[in-house]
Amino acid sequence: MRRPAFLFLSMCLAPVVLAAQQPTPPPPPAPAGHDSLQGAVQRIDAGRRTLDVTTGVGFALRVVQLEVPMGVPVVDKEKDAPIPLRELKPGDVIRVLFGVRSGRDVAYTIERLGRMETGPDATP
Amino acid sequence: MRRAWCLALILGVPAVGACRRPQPGDPLRGLSAAERARFDSGRVVFDSAFTPEIGLGPLFNQRACGECHEAPVSGGAGDEVERHAAAFHPERPGGGRACDELVAQGGPVFQDSVTAALRTALGIDNEPVPPEATATAARTSPDVLGFGLLDAVPDSAILANADPDDRNGDGISGRPNRFFDGRLGRFGRKALVPALRDFNDGAFQIEQGITSPSVPAEGTVAGRPFPAGTDPAADPELSARGLELTDAFVRLLAPPAQQRQSREARQGRDVFTRVGCANCHVPALRTGDSAIPALRRKEVAAYTDLLLHDMGPELADICFGLATPSEFRTEPLMGLRLMPRFLHDGRATTPEQAIELHGGEGAKARDLFRALPAADQAALVAFLRTL
Repeated sequence: MRRPAFLFLSMCLAPVVLAAQQPTPPPPPAPAGHDSLQGAVQRIDAGRRTLDVTTGVGFALRVVQLEVPMGVPVVDKEKDAPIPLRELKPGDVIRVLFGVRSGRDVAYTIERLGRMETGPDATP
Repeated sequence: MRRAWCLALILGVPAVGACRRPQPGDPLRGLSAAERARFDSGRVVFDSAFTPEIGLGPLFNQRACGECHEAPVSGGAGDEVERHAAAFHPERPGGGRACDELVAQGGPVFQDSVTAALRTALGIDNEPVPPEATATAARTSPDVLGFGLLDAVPDSAILANADPDDRNGDGISGRPNRFFDGRLGRFGRKALVPALRDFNDGAFQIEQGITSPSVPAEGTVAGRPFPAGTDPAADPELSARGLELTDAFVRLLAPPAQQRQSREARQGRDVFTRVGCANCHVPALRTGDSAIPALRRKEVAAYTDLLLHDMGPELADICFGLATPSEFRTEPLMGLRLMPRFLHDGRATTPEQAIELHGGEGAKARDLFRALPAADQAALVAFLRTL
């Protein structure tokens, strides 16, 4: 009695396992030339105009190293006003539109949304 | 006669099933047929073991979700201990964040296993922790039973218990952690991860080396790309459907039902409140709105506030997000009776030991526990054993 039940269950569930492990076609590429991320400033070098931004999914974290050419708009969303790059601080939560140029990630726009802080008002 | 038997089955069995206390590993009550089907299918994915040919590794901790979350059922706790590391520089002269999760060096999780191909290519048996680390941490695998309900607790309910400046003067100053995008954290021993889906999706990559539409890129080995030929499977190695089903299984797992309480255990529940355990191990949280009725506006007896508390220097290990080395999220006590070991690193083998190891904000409750008559101590532990 148990064996038929087990066989039946296996037949029902096997396609599910196979389907789940079968890779789907890769997602369509992002619009040509740009991507976006939201994360926290890990380090900033205003002199060299570079930013390290920590982001990710769960514990699968990644650091994106960005170049910020002169003229790239940096905006404080709360103030709705432009700010100089040097005003960004480690722990600032930013949204960045960026793309790859000569193999390096280059920022197109940067928005400061808030701070990675513990207070109840800090949710960007 | 046969008809009567069938009627009894049709009418009686569901009634008996509805009255039965949920067993560990059961789904939440009140799921639709479609939700139950996703739960059952998700369990199959959760228990599926991966191989290098279908995506495992090159770095990994285990081959299946169910290899760590295994006791007494899939979704339960495990005896595996993994390594995390970070660098904490509270007064960083160069002006970085105080906590460096060593992401650029392969952190914060440093996997303990490698595929044969990676071992051949690099001659390593695990991912090395970089010298920049100021601390390493051992982390046990908690059970994930009832985590869908924790996910459905609104941020406002968590923040309502926060008292970062201890304005009420009770010596307890819970504060929230936040993920790097600013969202309120709640999952993980340091409450970094804001959502169950994020935790599940990220775990495939971190624990098994499985890429997916959510985390499409392989990690690194100590910050460097994997050598050519060590990752034969095409990305993504798990489909969006696989992610969704796994999430459904974890999300819809019922919390362990509290066991019937003896008179002693009922006394212990009062002692639990009296000595101050309940200040952090808040007995119940309430979920908010949810697309899943079984998760909507439910009370979950989780015995946690999902906030960070300073637990003193003896337990301190790594920083994580906003959490300092000595800060940990209040561990949920639901399902305590199923746990093989206690505290974030499993160093305690009994609830009494775990209480004894509380420091920092937990020291006052610990001292009050120590001062209790033996009968009250026993009652409190008897209560914990019913959770």
